[in-house]
Amino acid sequence: MTALMSTRALSRTLPTEPPVTLVRNVDLDIAAGRFHAVIGPSGCGKSSLLYLLGLLDRPTAGTVLFRGEETNTLSGDERARLRLEQFGFVFQFHFLLPEFTALENVLIPIRRLGRLNGSAMADQALAMLDGLGLAGQAGKTPDKMSGGERQRVAIARALANDPSLVLGDEPTGNLDSGNSAHVIQIFQRIAHDQGRAVVCVTHDPTVAAAADVRIHMLDGAIERIE
Amino acid sequence: MLARVRLILGIAVKHLAKRKRQTAVAIAGVGIGVGFFLAVSAMMIGSQNDFVQRLISSAPHIIISDEIRSPRPQPAIRALRGTTVEIQGYKTRNEVRGIKDWQEIVQAAEAIPGSIVAPSLSGAVTLRVGGREEPLGIIGVDPSIEEKIENVQDNMSAGTFHDLETTQGGVIITEDLAQRLGVRMGDTVGATSAAGTRSLKIVGLFARGRGQFGNNGYVLLREAQSLTGHPFIINRIGVSIPDPYAAQTVAANLEDRFGYKAQSWQERSADFMTLLLTRNVIMYSVISAMLLVASFGIYTAVSNSVVDKRRDIAILRSIGFSQSDLQRVFVAEGIILAIIGVVAGWAIGTLLMQILGSIRFPILGRVEHLPLDRSARQFMIAGLSSLCAAAIAAWLPARKAARVDPVEILRGAA
Repeated sequence: MTALMSTRALSRTLPTEPPVTLVRNVDLDIAAGRFHAVIGPSGCGKSSLLYLLGLLDRPTAGTVLFRGEETNTLSGDERARLRLEQFGFVFQFHFLLPEFTALENVLIPIRRLGRLNGSAMADQALAMLDGLGLAGQAGKTPDKMSGGERQRVAIARALANDPSLVLGDEPTGNLDSGNSAHVIQIFQRIAHDQGRAVVCVTHDPTVAAAADVRIHMLDGAIERIE
Repeated sequence: MLARVRLILGIAVKHLAKRKRQTAVAIAGVGIGVGFFLAVSAMMIGSQNDFVQRLISSAPHIIISDEIRSPRPQPAIRALRGTTVEIQGYKTRNEVRGIKDWQEIVQAAEAIPGSIVAPSLSGAVTLRVGGREEPLGIIGVDPSIEEKIENVQDNMSAGTFHDLETTQGGVIITEDLAQRLGVRMGDTVGATSAAGTRSLKIVGLFARGRGQFGNNGYVLLREAQSLTGHPFIINRIGVSIPDPYAAQTVAANLEDRFGYKAQSWQERSADFMTLLLTRNVIMYSVISAMLLVASFGIYTAVSNSVVDKRRDIAILRSIGFSQSDLQRVFVAEGIILAIIGVVAGWAIGTLLMQILGSIRFPILGRVEHLPLDRSARQFMIAGLSSLCAAAIAAWLPARKAARVDPVEILRGAA
């Protein structure tokens, strides 16, 4: 299976005094249709690696290849475009826009992409919510929903533009075990059934256990992959 | 593209709606700025137009007189052009007063389409009633022509301009002069000049406070000619032209051709024109300051919005919004504030103009209203300059929104 995304000698150093290396010489292949968990102690560079994979941050050395293409040379706008079309982010906190309803939050990436006309956009967003059991929550703002519901809306938003890569930063970190299990199920489904690559940074052993690939990190470097 | 614009506007509107107080303050700032801009400029421009209108209509646009700006050069100087000539103890020729070949000038002026040309003769007499004597500058005119170029009738408090034509020896003088002489309408006064003494009958009075008439009085042209002993002579040609603002060029033209001094109304009122310029400079400085202060409100509102929404900025960046998208969101916030503010300002301005327009000023027995300029031009200027100021005021903090590092925010929140 060819890698959807790979990194070669990827490093990220903060230009502080003395310099702090967040990610050290990482070679990694992310495959479509697989659920990857990045695990390791706090401060080992898991999240930093995720931001590099999501093209939110730029490496100080090494490269990130997406579908075999170098991403370092892309402009800020091109990287934003790639995030919009190909990537979906889910964070520890739901990070929904508080002024917008669930439906509007899911609509934001769809409208930004602008490929569909008005009613088709709403249909797609509703289908996303429906697929995650949120059809009844469409008109609610985030403060009127439970934590689990909010996180599922955030997942719906991440999936809104049919991304090939879903990146999770402690997506279950703020959820009870029931909701965590639900989110893990969703992640497995979007990897195995929908053929997307899923990368989850997590502390949660149940997430790690559910993943197909476990990437252990220590001090910014990959310790082992199983 | 349209979907994207609507999305960006939608986000901007939500941000503003969430921060009602700041939004209201920023809108009020622009609204009050624009409102007072309109009220002040309506008064300033209105009074200026009124003033210029009075200047234009109170006297002919161009007055050609029998003066010359510099004396004719001595024949010796003309003959020996380019050399140094010193002449001492010469006497200038006693020029006959009056404009020579005035019919030719009248014809030339009448050739301008739409122009009205009124020849007249002015001279000096002494009015005498009982023991009292008062000097009077008399202007001999043809009322039916003169009324077309000079607003005489409106300034009269008694009698009509045309009474000059129907009354033998009729004269119109100011109320002040009549009072000083102790005479009233219909009274007869003696007028003495170098040519002798005649009696004149007062057929009209100018209202008080019309400074332009001073110690002048109007008589018929032929009356003036016989009073001053200058039959068939005129020494002043008033010209009115359809476009009063072209007076300067037309005057220069006529002066070039005939040599007689031709003064435009602008030249005669040069001091007032300078005053108007100064007033305009003051007005535009003050209203620029108002708009600047209004844009501070927008700067603050957008700036605070950027700080408050750092997390949203990071989220939107992670979703795939570009830096310029985010900059546009916050510039849009400023422009939305400005648009609402401008519309509110137009309403405030209209209201202020209504109030100002309804104030009545009794001036010397006549009720006057403030002259106000309500032209759409001022509304447009106020609106466009506010929008430009707001765009700049919003753009400055919006650049910061574009520069927010999403990783820093996301890491901090996690």
